[in-house]
Amino acid sequence: MAKVAREMVEKAGVNVDQLLELLVYNAAAELTTFYYYTILRANLIGLEGEGVKEIAEVARIEDRNHFEALVPRIYELGGKLPDDMKEFHDMSACKPARLPADPTDVTAILTVLVEAERCAVRGYTHVCNLTAGKDHRTYDLSLAILNEEIEHESWFSEFLGEGPSGHFMRRGDTSPFVSKFLR
Amino acid sequence: MRTFTPDELALCDGRDGRPSYVACDGTVYDVGESFLWRRGRHMAEHEAGRDLTEELAGAPHGADLLELCPVVGVLVAGA
Repeated sequence: MAKVAREMVEKAGVNVDQLLELLVYNAAAELTTFYYYTILRANLIGLEGEGVKEIAEVARIEDRNHFEALVPRIYELGGKLPDDMKEFHDMSACKPARLPADPTDVTAILTVLVEAERCAVRGYTHVCNLTAGKDHRTYDLSLAILNEEIEHESWFSEFLGEGPSGHFMRRGDTSPFVSKFLR
Repeated sequence: MRTFTPDELALCDGRDGRPSYVACDGTVYDVGESFLWRRGRHMAEHEAGRDLTEELAGAPHGADLLELCPVVGVLVAGA
């Protein structure tokens, strides 16, 4: 635990215990999303599905990276992950991104994907709002994650025809915003 | 439609098997089946059994998400 770092955040007026709860909920959302996206990706097949698979894989890996980046901050602030994985799953900040009833329905899979990303965008916007100007490190981390979640939302949204599109898929390594927290 | 006073709504806090209801703009919603309202709490900040109209103004989403939950009544002023 980073004692003075926590004190600084408390003195800035942040309810650190509440913030920690939110960070754990978001970490749970990232890890469970990584799991559920693995299943979604496996079902993205055929002429329609294969076109979405690569982008779903990038989002899946980046969500795992978000989990990895959040955990150190949780412990720095004096928090911890639950001992029980089932408990961790059930405290996720977003509902499970389950495979649709018809796993061949690529539009239904895309809808699950975009709703998961929209939940994440709301969640990290909220953490940014709570920490802006008060907890610089959590803000920086949450903003980095938010940048990637917004891109994920855009990708899936554009596959659903909610356009027009302002960009194309990234080039280069995954997690361009969050990678600085993973080194 | 059933009416709830603030005191009656407060009893629906989602704890110990009680129903999990919240109010917004005078409408009472049942959030008990929502994954994001387990045990009457939402995102570490919000509690069931309360009028969340003001809290919703500071939330990263609008009433549209709450409106996905079943309506169970209306909130009226207490005695």
